[in-house]
Amino acid sequence: MTRTDTRVGPATARPTLGRRRPYWTGRRRDQLTGYLFIAPQLVGSAVFVILPLALVVWYSLHEWNVLAGTFTFVGADNYATLADDPNLGSVLRATGLFSVGLVVLNLALALLLAVLLNQKLRGTTLFRTLFFSPVVVSLVAWTIVWGFLLQDNGGINGLLDTIGVAGPNWLRGEGTAMFSVVVVQVFKNVGLNMVLFLAALQAVPGELYEAAEVDGASRMRQFWRITVPLISPTILLTSIITVVGSLQVFAQIAVLTQGGPGTSTTVLVYYLYQQAFQFHHFGYGATLSIVLFGIVLALTVLQWQLRKRWVFHES
Amino acid sequence: MSRDLSPRTKLVLYGVLLVLSVPFVFPTWWMVTSSLKPVSEIFSFPPQLLPLNPRFGAYQRVFDLQPFGQQYVNSLYIALLVTVGTLAVSALAGYAFARIRFRGQNVLFLVVLAGLLIPSEVTIVPLFQMFFKLGLIDTHWPLILVPILGAPSVLATFIMRQFFLGLPGELEEAARVDGLGRFATFWKIALPLSRPALGAVAIFTFLHSWNLYLEPIVFLSSPEKFTLPQALTQFVDAYGGPMWDVQLAAASMTALPVLVVFVIAQKQFVEGLAHTGLKG
Amino acid sequence: MSSGKGTRVAAAALAGMLALSACGGGTAQDSGPASLRVTVWSANEAHLKLFNEIADEYRQNNPDVTAITFDPLPFENYTTTLTTQIAGGNAPDLAWVFESSAPDFVASGALVPLDETLKKTEGYEYDDLSPATLKLWQHDGQLYAYPFSTSPFGVFVNTDLLKRAGQKTPAELIDAGQWTWETVFAAAGATQAATGKAGLVIRDFDYKGWDYLSTYWTGWGAEAWSEDGKTCGFASPEMVEAMTTLHRAIFTGKALPGPGTTADFFAGDAAMTVTQISRASLLEDDGFAWDLVPLPVGPKGPYAVVGQAGIGVLKSSPHAEAAADFLAFLTNPTNSAKLAQFFPPPRQSQLTAQTLAKTNPKLKPEQLQRVVIDGIASGVVKPSHTGQAEISQQVRAGLDPLWTPNANVRGVLDDVCAKIQPLLAK
Repeated sequence: MTRTDTRVGPATARPTLGRRRPYWTGRRRDQLTGYLFIAPQLVGSAVFVILPLALVVWYSLHEWNVLAGTFTFVGADNYATLADDPNLGSVLRATGLFSVGLVVLNLALALLLAVLLNQKLRGTTLFRTLFFSPVVVSLVAWTIVWGFLLQDNGGINGLLDTIGVAGPNWLRGEGTAMFSVVVVQVFKNVGLNMVLFLAALQAVPGELYEAAEVDGASRMRQFWRITVPLISPTILLTSIITVVGSLQVFAQIAVLTQGGPGTSTTVLVYYLYQQAFQFHHFGYGATLSIVLFGIVLALTVLQWQLRKRWVFHES
Repeated sequence: MSRDLSPRTKLVLYGVLLVLSVPFVFPTWWMVTSSLKPVSEIFSFPPQLLPLNPRFGAYQRVFDLQPFGQQYVNSLYIALLVTVGTLAVSALAGYAFARIRFRGQNVLFLVVLAGLLIPSEVTIVPLFQMFFKLGLIDTHWPLILVPILGAPSVLATFIMRQFFLGLPGELEEAARVDGLGRFATFWKIALPLSRPALGAVAIFTFLHSWNLYLEPIVFLSSPEKFTLPQALTQFVDAYGGPMWDVQLAAASMTALPVLVVFVIAQKQFVEGLAHTGLKG
Repeated sequence: MSSGKGTRVAAAALAGMLALSACGGGTAQDSGPASLRVTVWSANEAHLKLFNEIADEYRQNNPDVTAITFDPLPFENYTTTLTTQIAGGNAPDLAWVFESSAPDFVASGALVPLDETLKKTEGYEYDDLSPATLKLWQHDGQLYAYPFSTSPFGVFVNTDLLKRAGQKTPAELIDAGQWTWETVFAAAGATQAATGKAGLVIRDFDYKGWDYLSTYWTGWGAEAWSEDGKTCGFASPEMVEAMTTLHRAIFTGKALPGPGTTADFFAGDAAMTVTQISRASLLEDDGFAWDLVPLPVGPKGPYAVVGQAGIGVLKSSPHAEAAADFLAFLTNPTNSAKLAQFFPPPRQSQLTAQTLAKTNPKLKPEQLQRVVIDGIASGVVKPSHTGQAEISQQVRAGLDPLWTPNANVRGVLDDVCAKIQPLLAK
């Protein structure tokens, strides 16, 4: 990568012409360096992101039956199908529920764990490792174990039974299925956000709390007035990562509920997977991909805009 | 830093932490212990916390049934290459987006960010077509090139950019006044300071590559080229039913080394991040 | 690294565009040396060993075929991965096909007709193939895939568990002419009450894989859809009666474990299970005493249900001819007999208790005769339809409300038909 060194710039520059200012001003040189620095990423994005995305848009204008080998231009037909799709409402609802539930629970639990682990306690390293461990376990193994625990006669209800509570049929009930899928996913990945929060918490200067203590502020007040604003950049980062991730989750749903009961856990990615790979409607699957892309894009832009309001120290 | 706690508070905290850790630990515990049980015991009710007669036969069979050692090497070298490559690409791009002013910067950043927004299910078919045309099907290239240059590296670039934005600029200014070029400033000043962010990116990236599932299944077809998550699906009996003990043994062997690395590296990782802070 | 990347990138960009024009799929035949690829969903060592032995033998006599590889794709992702490969222009030469996607593959024109190749192959004995097993794989009078596995459903019984609950064994019930769904449900419910273990489990159904219920409702003369696939059968009086009985057996009689409850027969957690005979291998030698019996008799009399898997040649293969020739070799009488140890063959001459007993050591001759041989001869294949995946998904979602204690059976079944009728009529 040493070839991106800026000193290459002046070396290749032509001799200055007459009395005019040299072509390679610091600013121009900087510009070139900027482009060189981002070149690998930019070219990579063009080839492995933008081009495939463009192809997906192209597919969405076609009726593509993979088995029959037919690929026919149908214009906006797939988009008309989309507008009439009776499932779309419930799919979008499930997607929204899943994402909101996941983001709220994940961030709240991650923050709670990080605050607990940030106390002066022996053994926090051990707990930190325990909470992080699911992150490295194979997703499929993790999901299968939880599917087993969440059965009507499974471990969770067995546990509830010992304290005299009759647990619901987690994965089969309309309300509880979505909740279960969210919780399984939260436990799997909350460790990542927890570590990021923990790092942010440790960076908060202790003097701030001491000063607040002198002022007589309660612990709760200190948390909301000092901690939260100071770690708000991390909250933004984790929430973006989590929202984007939540819209792409599908293996868990495939293993735990297959979109059921009814269509209550059929989220958008799972639906587009069904349409493209199971029902062989590649064109319509591509159309749904565009919808998904649009939603993620809108949400990210929204979060990015919101950061100006509440993120404490934005440069 | 937090304040000292009374013994009673400490006791309560330990209680809370212990209860909270159950849902995190039990599934892994079950996975590892079940790999030592006969199949009929794995799904018995109530679940046995410890195998009655631990046996290690399943671990032997993992290696008998699949070139598991080779698959381990594959996963490891791919993940390491991807991690190093991603660090290089994302550090450069993140630095440029944060520190250097150039025309079209914001638009280009948005273009790159698009990669963050696309699930792999969406682009897998076009990507498969492209790599097929290049004759790179059943090679490790798609699993290396796409993560380094494509959508997965965008998150890394994003993190690096946010980090560099929060880094105080004075040191770099001074270096530039001393006549260091941009690259030298980046290489000698900014990069050493960004070690914690690089650590975070390295962990994210390594885990992402290590756990990649859909892509290897689609791109690879020879067992000696498989990666670990893909290999896990291959332990099945004569009728397509999973050989649970063998699968769980393989899954345990896949997870434990990464966990060990995390245990060793976590102190540095977390505290390193904390010292400089990951600023938005 | 950076300069090499440039050309690679340009090439990749170009390739993406080229790929589009190639989607239509040419069928250019290549008569030169061929290397064949077969996608299968079994990664089982013993299976692959046998396949490779047969392939090696074939290559010795056919030097033009330089290599034959068997690609095991994961079972759960099999059809997905296969379609991605086909969509990407990298279709295999031969592929295993699930019975559920049979109509899709057979009717779409993705496969090559096989009759001619098979019939002209020396010593093939095409007429030996049982017509009942071929039906699913035929379209307009042509055979598009060979049913290499036809596996009947039967009932495995844990006789220890039944005896402990003071119930008669199925063998006794059969002798007394009382092996009916009614007595089975009664015995299952009583065993559940007495032992706390599950009574009867319809394996792989799990309140999602509804097509496995055809092993039950066929006894009532019910069917998911009409023979021609155009009319929904879920709202028929037979189906309503069958499902009402089943609903009562689950929620009142406790004969079957309820939704979200798993009980593995082979781990000793259930008294009886309906499944394919191939699962006999899951029985442990030192486990409980067991028996294998045919499906119980329904109100419409005795019946049998089979599951199938086929193997076909992809039309997009550049070596389709060589692939079909290899398929003829793979399934000739000699090799079919070898494959019979894992997959019940469609060849009538090999469907004798004697031949099957050699390769299924756990099953007794009368078990094989009653369940396998009689089953294959008269069996109804599990429901399948063009666009099965989409229909199946609708039925699954539509039936979900049925699996609650107070469900309105008739209403739920009417809803299922309302949902799938438009898809069936397509």
